Amino acid sequence: MNLTFPAYETPNNKTQKRLLGLAALFLFFSCVVLTFSPAIRFHQWTGAVRWEQWVGFGVWLAGFSILYRGLNRYLPDSDPYLLPVVSLLSGWGLITIFRLNPAVGFRQTVWLSACIAGLVFGIRFQQLLPLLRRYKYVWLTSALVLTVLTLFLGTYPGGTGTGPGLWLEMFGIYLQPSEFLKLVLIIYLAAYLADSLPVRFSIMQLLAPTLVVAGASIAILVAQRDLGTASIFIILYTIVVYVASGRRRVLLISFLVIIAALIAGYSIFDVIKIRIEAWINPWLDPSGKSYQIVQSLMSLANGELFGRGLGLGSPGVVPVAQSDFIFSSIVEETGLFGAVGLLILMAILTIRGIEIALHAKNHYHRFLALGITSSYIVQAGLIIGGNIRLFPLTGVTLPFVSYGGSSLVVSFFSLLLMLMISDQAEDQPAALEQRRPYTLLGAVFLAGLILVALLTGWWSMIRSSSLLARSDNPRRAISDSYVLRGRIVDRNNSVLSESVGEIGSYKRVLNLPSLSATVGYSNPDYGQTGIEYSMDSYLRGVSGNSSTTVWLDRLLYGQYPPGLDIRVSLDSSLQTKADELLKGQKGAIVLLNAATGEVLASATAPTFDANRLDTQWQTWMQDENAPLLNRVTQGQYPAGSAISVFLYASALSSGLPVEQSSLSQLELKQCAVSPGAGTDFASLVTAGCPIAIEKLAPAIQPTVLWNLMSQLGFFSKPDIKVETADAGSLNYPIETSVLINNPLTWRVSPLQMVRAAAAISNAGKVPPTVLVTAYKDPLNEWIALPDLPRTVQLSQFSASEAADQLSITSFPGWETLAKVKDNQQTIYWYLAGTTANWQASPLALVVLLENATPELTRSIGQQMFLYSVRPFGN
Amino acid sequence: MLPFLVLIFRFLATAALFGFLGWALYTLWRDLRFHSQMVTTQKVPPISLSLPNDPEESRKTFVNTDIVVGRDNSCDFQISDETVSARHARLNYRYLQWWVEDLQSTNGTYLNDEKIETSTIIINGDEIRLGQVVVLIEIQPPES
Repeated sequence: MNLTFPAYETPNNKTQKRLLGLAALFLFFSCVVLTFSPAIRFHQWTGAVRWEQWVGFGVWLAGFSILYRGLNRYLPDSDPYLLPVVSLLSGWGLITIFRLNPAVGFRQTVWLSACIAGLVFGIRFQQLLPLLRRYKYVWLTSALVLTVLTLFLGTYPGGTGTGPGLWLEMFGIYLQPSEFLKLVLIIYLAAYLADSLPVRFSIMQLLAPTLVVAGASIAILVAQRDLGTASIFIILYTIVVYVASGRRRVLLISFLVIIAALIAGYSIFDVIKIRIEAWINPWLDPSGKSYQIVQSLMSLANGELFGRGLGLGSPGVVPVAQSDFIFSSIVEETGLFGAVGLLILMAILTIRGIEIALHAKNHYHRFLALGITSSYIVQAGLIIGGNIRLFPLTGVTLPFVSYGGSSLVVSFFSLLLMLMISDQAEDQPAALEQRRPYTLLGAVFLAGLILVALLTGWWSMIRSSSLLARSDNPRRAISDSYVLRGRIVDRNNSVLSESVGEIGSYKRVLNLPSLSATVGYSNPDYGQTGIEYSMDSYLRGVSGNSSTTVWLDRLLYGQYPPGLDIRVSLDSSLQTKADELLKGQKGAIVLLNAATGEVLASATAPTFDANRLDTQWQTWMQDENAPLLNRVTQGQYPAGSAISVFLYASALSSGLPVEQSSLSQLELKQCAVSPGAGTDFASLVTAGCPIAIEKLAPAIQPTVLWNLMSQLGFFSKPDIKVETADAGSLNYPIETSVLINNPLTWRVSPLQMVRAAAAISNAGKVPPTVLVTAYKDPLNEWIALPDLPRTVQLSQFSASEAADQLSITSFPGWETLAKVKDNQQTIYWYLAGTTANWQASPLALVVLLENATPELTRSIGQQMFLYSVRPFGN
Repeated sequence: MLPFLVLIFRFLATAALFGFLGWALYTLWRDLRFHSQMVTTQKVPPISLSLPNDPEESRKTFVNTDIVVGRDNSCDFQISDETVSARHARLNYRYLQWWVEDLQSTNGTYLNDEKIETSTIIINGDEIRLGQVVVLIEIQPPES
């Protein structure tokens, strides 16, 4: 270090030298971490290293070494803290920019070396401050003219029209005149107020010219929609005038002006309206208007206490991370520790700045030092506040840290002025009328920094896990391409969904595409659904692994440990059969183990293919057949006479009403199929005749009927690990006419229906619905998932007897069919199940078809049922 | 192995950062304490100026650190005499002493009958003469 930062005999040199050495060490270690970050991400040494930042580090070290020597020679009494703090800030920014985008990093390196070179020469130019003061109107006019020029010639570095035209292009270099205008305005105000202060006019007379100038500047910026900079102008103007005049009225007036400007801006400019709305409630439109802020908050959340490590987070997913959101990037990779460190650096800058102002030898220097310090801290506060949702977003830069040539040049030029002002050891400070404005300002700035630190802690620590768990967090998808996600296997361990490919480009593949609606997808662009969504914490390795493993992997790699496999209750062969049967139809098939409630097959048609979302999404979204809908769980259908089987079982226990001797033509026509010659209830229920409900419902006591319907689960949402529609409800007492007329408030999904049908085959016990049964722990043992709600035993329900009565000779079970007219379409229910004398696990089946025929529905149902019982050899 | 090495480097980077901040804040605090000790010992002793022909009526006591004497009515201590310049002399307190300096007056400033050319320390009981007018100086001992 003695070579780079040699010792000098100047006062406070020891502090400066030591601080610069520590800054260099910090940057060196950070560069080392970044160098090896690819190997950490890939969990293996692939030979890939990041080296670009070393160029930046080399330039930084050489530049600040030269500047340090020059400073100790030409400005030996200057403040010893400014250079180290600025070197650390700019070096930190530079490496962060290299980490985000090496190409931009090289450009920033060029700007940084230009700035340092400018300072190395500037410190010899002793006449700079008086010259700025003398020709204040020349500088001001030039800066105003340049800013006005952007109204006509303004471009955006990314291409005209793609962003605000705040830049001027000259020989391929982009300059942002408003940055220069900001500094020139401070110089002008300081010089003007210092010149006219001893003369005691009224405050309005004193301020009239400055008001005109500041107003003109702000007007230009408003015309340019550069409202971040415009608000900085107002704040800086207020601060300088307040300090010069010592009147607190100025603060009040300025506060009112800002509020008025906000309200006016909100109603006039869409940009402001969007920003303010995104600020007040970012969660309303997280993928649209408030995309940036929500992404920024998730970036903070990923930082937690220690940060993910340089090169190990994903700050690049936040838009314009290297300029507007560099604070979020820094927090994501260095954590709350880094954030607090950065804020303390800002605090040191504030303390020193105010100290320099207080010790300045004349009022011009004093106001200038204070204005520059305020411009650093106000700008930092606005943009950091925007990143952490303390303020609405303003597109200003973080001084010394953000990418941006004009901003860096202006920040370094102001640093030169500060160093010159501070180099006044021999002179007595100018008389100080009031100390109060300075202490007040310092206190406000420091309090602001503490508030920012607390809020950063809130997002990165307290709200961290809930933010990271959001499905629009792109880090989840990124992590899925680096860390193997758990597989989803069926009950016979055949793989349904798995991640394939090389580390770094893992891709999720669903081996049985017909299960897209149930198993769901985990897609970087379309998010997650189904089991992939509900079991994400196991598949991602957050749950099921020991907390130490999770913590260590997060700390070392910035990732979660490899995901755990999960097992679902589905049976691939039954599922394939159901899919085959539904081919070309519109409807759903769901098969349940009636005793355990495990879903064995869940088919919906038409459906989509989770593997082809990228190309087909729009088609499926617009398809009126709703292929993205899971008809088993989300389909909402009128139950119609499908419920007659449950009424029948209930009535059997309390006594059947008198049977009808014959049916009218109309009553016959309403049946799903002809009941044939039989007019007994068993025949009517099997054939799906509404007359059965009309006769059976009044025979059951209202309370019994109510309990029956709610215990069968017709009014409650099934608890299952996929997206499910909310259940409808009926009023007590349940009117028979209501049951027949199928009110819109009461719809039933096939899953609800099959759960109820299970009660018939399972001796009156309603099982829970189960889809996910177990996960494989890190020791390769299958662990059953905690049990779901218990089975409900129905009272006054002759399930077995009903099943026997409804069973048919050609068939090892009971069945019933129903036809319901619903608006424009007719839907058909087919319910079937095993009878009590069935030796293996009891089964319950529901088939639902939209706009089919009763014969087809029954045929599909019977084929499915026969196929389901076949493996058991009956 | 590499992940742990990188983790160590991350800790080292954080340590260097907080070493920087710790050292900076420590020296700042040290300086602040030093300055505040300076300030507490640097209570400005009040200074009184009076004219010998009417000591009680003309006596004026100052607690601020910068006093301008002259004929102009913007001066802190005003003397109506033809031989006194508009802004004649300045008294100020620095380095724990009261100093007098001539503001390039026409008839010069004298401390105990010696013309002063540079800023000169004054003590209790001194007499300064501005043109023809003598001003008596009383400096109260500083309160400790």
